[in-house]
Amino acid sequence: MTGDPRLVDTIESSQSREIFWDKDVYDLELERIFGRAWLFLGHESLLPKPGDFITTYMAEDKVILSHQPDGSFRAFINSCTHRGNQICHADSGNAKAFVCNYHGWVYGQDGSLVDVPLESRCYHDQLDKSRLAAKPVRVETYKGFIFGCGDADAPSLEEYLGEFRWYLDTIWEGAGGGLELLGPPMKSILACNWKVPTENFVGDGYHVGWTHAGALAGIGGELAGLAGNRADIPFEDLGLQFTTRHGHGFGVIDNAAPAIHVKREGWAKYLAETRAEVGRKFGPERERLYVGHWNCSIFPSCSFLYGTNTFKVWHPRGPHEIEVWTYTMVPRDADPETKSTIQREATRSFGTAGTLESDDGENMSSATHVNRGNITRDGRMDSSMGAGFEGPHPVYPGIVGSSFIGETSHRGFYRFWKEMLDAPDWTAVKANDNTWDSVFTNREYWTDKLDAVE
Amino acid sequence: MSVKQISVGPDVQFAIETHYRAEVRLWQTGQYREWLKDMVAEDIHYWMPIYEQRFLRDRRSDPTPDDAAIYNDDYGELDQRVERLYTGTVWMEDPPSKIRYFIGNVEAFDAGKDEFDVYSNLLVYRNRRQLETTVHTLGREDSLRRVGDGFKVFRRKLLLDARVTQDKNLYFFC
Repeated sequence: MTGDPRLVDTIESSQSREIFWDKDVYDLELERIFGRAWLFLGHESLLPKPGDFITTYMAEDKVILSHQPDGSFRAFINSCTHRGNQICHADSGNAKAFVCNYHGWVYGQDGSLVDVPLESRCYHDQLDKSRLAAKPVRVETYKGFIFGCGDADAPSLEEYLGEFRWYLDTIWEGAGGGLELLGPPMKSILACNWKVPTENFVGDGYHVGWTHAGALAGIGGELAGLAGNRADIPFEDLGLQFTTRHGHGFGVIDNAAPAIHVKREGWAKYLAETRAEVGRKFGPERERLYVGHWNCSIFPSCSFLYGTNTFKVWHPRGPHEIEVWTYTMVPRDADPETKSTIQREATRSFGTAGTLESDDGENMSSATHVNRGNITRDGRMDSSMGAGFEGPHPVYPGIVGSSFIGETSHRGFYRFWKEMLDAPDWTAVKANDNTWDSVFTNREYWTDKLDAVE
Repeated sequence: MSVKQISVGPDVQFAIETHYRAEVRLWQTGQYREWLKDMVAEDIHYWMPIYEQRFLRDRRSDPTPDDAAIYNDDYGELDQRVERLYTGTVWMEDPPSKIRYFIGNVEAFDAGKDEFDVYSNLLVYRNRRQLETTVHTLGREDSLRRVGDGFKVFRRKLLLDARVTQDKNLYFFC
């Protein structure tokens, strides 16, 4: 399985259908991707005060994330070191300690074992509590967004985000206030492989006009023109697509940030009032991104739409199922009414009863479960749209594709997926740092294209 | 709710249950425009809050309409949801899926001025494509207003029993 070139072909831009179905592939993903990568846990805004906590997942592992008395954040596996019972069943709250229901062992905010019942009488003070802390996971924060990692050898979160921070800073820092998340999250089960929604968010501008034709027609405005994927729209003039070294990527539709929102006065006004400061700090190229609509995935399994402002984590549940958690992104310094309106609009379009999100469910599950048949499964999937019409860009880091309708970001996502699955450890991944984008062979694409414009 | 609320008499109870049966029939037969026009007041607040799992000791208040909710709609927003279903390009509904509602435990109380507070339990069974079946149970808290010889709902709060929704979506009306 390891190093199998058939799973992902980075030359022909295709993937085996097994990657959505096969249990051995999934087990390798748990070990080599979810066991190694930085995974989204939460945002400071979800646990703002010391003692605040949330429970969440890192893939299939249950985790407690707690705001420490010194202001830092720590996370540990939500399982007692006695007989393994789940320690905490609340979604969120404030606690100085977490008590396991089975025999009453008490864990501190950092997961240390601080007390056990009858320690003198029945353990005869011979239990070494210092060796029985709940298993910790690494926690690092970027612009308020909190990530966890199960691999001591992984690079720092900043290195893992890498050149993608150039893009994230545009919105996660923006004019200064940055973004925060609003909970509590919606949660639902969807019978699909976790990569189907991740690839959909990272790079699928193509499906929007077809899958969401009904919803777009109802919303009207800037994006209604996409309905039906008509041939007369100059897609190359409407946006771009990006991918980066560690698989993170997005597509942008220019000047469309709040386009899915029907009631958008507050959000549109916020963007209009802050964009000049973003342009001053980050330059016109990123001011362009700041007022665009993004469909984005942070490798492996966290996705968001900037503009619409839905924020998702696709927690895997075996190869054929996920648990979707959905938050809302809002500017920290927006007024309360604007935040509330953004939350309502983001949920109405991309919540569990979303007018757009409800269109996607069958695409996700069907692309997974057709592979129950072995004749079907012995086939490949294509993601070659726009191959060659992309390359390194003189301004934007990573690899840039010429249109938001293309599969540049799919190619970048699966390129890194293959690299992680093939590599025995992070050292092997880091060895490819200087050559990762050699599969994007049109090195002169942007210099030629930009010269031609001038 | 208080146990001291004033129950409606059998005639009003019968009229409200009849109203709910007709509402269910409109949903089960896809007559969403008729439902919205005839059974929903223009000052509707249609709300399905998200309840977290919290410890009993947690003192935080219950969700309000300013907090996260799966539905938090006014009349125009409900109309947008209804009209989407008539576009002919909602591929998941072609061929159409099936839905059936079982409504029970209807308790109606007089709220004065020809208005009524009504509590009910819902069991919703959905079936689509070949084998897909999903089931939802909810509590429903309504405020109804007598309009002509029928009723219109002007506040509807839907309380989902499941924290994690075991379905592709919750795109159905209750």
